Amino acid sequence: MERREIVLKTEGLSKRYPSLKRKNIFAVKDLSIEIKKGEVFGFLGRNGAGKTTTIKMICGLLIPTSGKIWINGIEGSSPESRKSLGYLPEQPYFYEYLTPEETINFYCKLRGMGSKDFSKEWERLSEILELKEISKIRIRNFSKGMRQKIGFAIALVGDPEFLILDEPMSGLDPIGRRHIRELILSLRDSGKTIFFSSHVLSDVEQLCDRVGVLTRGRLVAMGDIKEVLSQEISSVDVVFKKCPEILINEFSNSGHLIRRWEDYVHFKFDNMEVANSAVHRALEEFAKLVEFAPQKESLEEFFVRMQIKEGEESKTGKLYYSKLEE
Amino acid sequence: MRRIIAVALNTYRESIRDRVLYVLLFFALVVIIGSKAVGWISIGQDIKIVKDLSLAGISIFGALISIFIGTNLVYKEMDKRTVYTIISQPMPRYQFVVGKYVGLCLLIALMVGIMSVISGVYILILGGNINHWYFIACFLIFMKLLLVTALALLFSTLSSPILGAIMVFCFYVFGHATGIFLDLPPNLKDTMFEPVLKVLYYILPNFSNFDIRAEVVNGVPVSPWYVIYVTVYGIIYSLLFVYLAVIMFETKDV
Repeated sequence: MERREIVLKTEGLSKRYPSLKRKNIFAVKDLSIEIKKGEVFGFLGRNGAGKTTTIKMICGLLIPTSGKIWINGIEGSSPESRKSLGYLPEQPYFYEYLTPEETINFYCKLRGMGSKDFSKEWERLSEILELKEISKIRIRNFSKGMRQKIGFAIALVGDPEFLILDEPMSGLDPIGRRHIRELILSLRDSGKTIFFSSHVLSDVEQLCDRVGVLTRGRLVAMGDIKEVLSQEISSVDVVFKKCPEILINEFSNSGHLIRRWEDYVHFKFDNMEVANSAVHRALEEFAKLVEFAPQKESLEEFFVRMQIKEGEESKTGKLYYSKLEE
Repeated sequence: MRRIIAVALNTYRESIRDRVLYVLLFFALVVIIGSKAVGWISIGQDIKIVKDLSLAGISIFGALISIFIGTNLVYKEMDKRTVYTIISQPMPRYQFVVGKYVGLCLLIALMVGIMSVISGVYILILGGNINHWYFIACFLIFMKLLLVTALALLFSTLSSPILGAIMVFCFYVFGHATGIFLDLPPNLKDTMFEPVLKVLYYILPNFSNFDIRAEVVNGVPVSPWYVIYVTVYGIIYSLLFVYLAVIMFETKDV
């Protein structure tokens, strides 16, 4: 296996909130992950699973109850560790009275950059994110998509090699989502390491090299996206033309009738054997095969499978934990 | 240092947009200008009354500005979540807290400056005379407001703005009357309250130290050493409260 530099490492990371009613409420418990240089890591979980808490601990906003964080080998408790880090919070908030140019200037100063560095940085960022046209407009007048652009610009100030994006597509329209997706892809191509959480699993599937699934504060699965998803065929979509009525009734019992239109009929079969025998039967009766599409497990199906499995395991008092790679 | 200045200037820009500031400034100017009306009541003493009320107005409205804006300083950043992208920068947390404090101090300096100059010009227009002691009194009020701002900053890291404002206001009121903690009525002497009140006397900052109004108004000389002593006293207390605010914020989840 290729050995790559580790950009982020957490070891036994936990965050506990005090509660009067119950003894321990763990938002995150015993989280150990490693993110390698140049990879895009998707952090998945339902609302309240602990994704944002984890991200906030990595970014220095929350103090971990226990465990450690290293960013590029520097311990997370040191501000120095965040030199190589850019952070886009979920629904980023800004000083509304500032313009994008003033905002970037402010964050350049927080990164210890001088006026000359700011000019260069502004040029670079306004080119990547097309900010020139809106440079003099106050942020209070911006739409959600434009705000997200400013959030990205702040995350990219100082050209950090490691980016943490918390729900970067949240609340965006399809065009906005597409822009952000393209931006993430271009950042990946430029060698950035990206750690992002999202509910939009199709985006995660397209963008990520690896994923981790968090349930009730615990990492229940982590690994290469190809390894995580089951390689077995989960279903087969078959479309026939001019299929005799008697066969349609027969196939409705062995599979699922999805749709009928004109001369066409669409079935979904649970496995290859059933689908193959249906196709043989149909061809013998002179029906035409229009489409035969085996389906593998999608990330959404995998995610749901993990949630169900964890739910069952937690009822029995055991916690499912599968780590697909070292 | 660059980061502290950036946060300070941003805080200044943010605070100067606060409507509370203009409301309080307006009332302060009403008190200063309206003090002439009170002066008419006391024949021959009108300039003294104008000076007295002007300095009192600067002190009280300056304190209200410090309290209302100061107790919101850090809390507002957390509430509006603007703090997320700041704390995640490679800067120590103390720089953020100190920057916020310095930014508000700049604003307080501007406000005290405006009120001092307007009241000074007003006294001159009324035919009174102004010497440097009037502005030294304004400077000591400014030093007191730095202390109040530091206290407000501390409570801003600990509690909500309303609770913080109430607490700072209590400190402000008791801080002007710390003497009563030592001059106990006979029924409190030799009780458990005596040592507690004694401790409070030594812990609470004595805000009346900064008040040289009576001396300035009546032309009684004030020792320069006293001004230096009070300035140092104010700086030490302010630094202590800012330090406590830093400690509180260092371990705070934002």
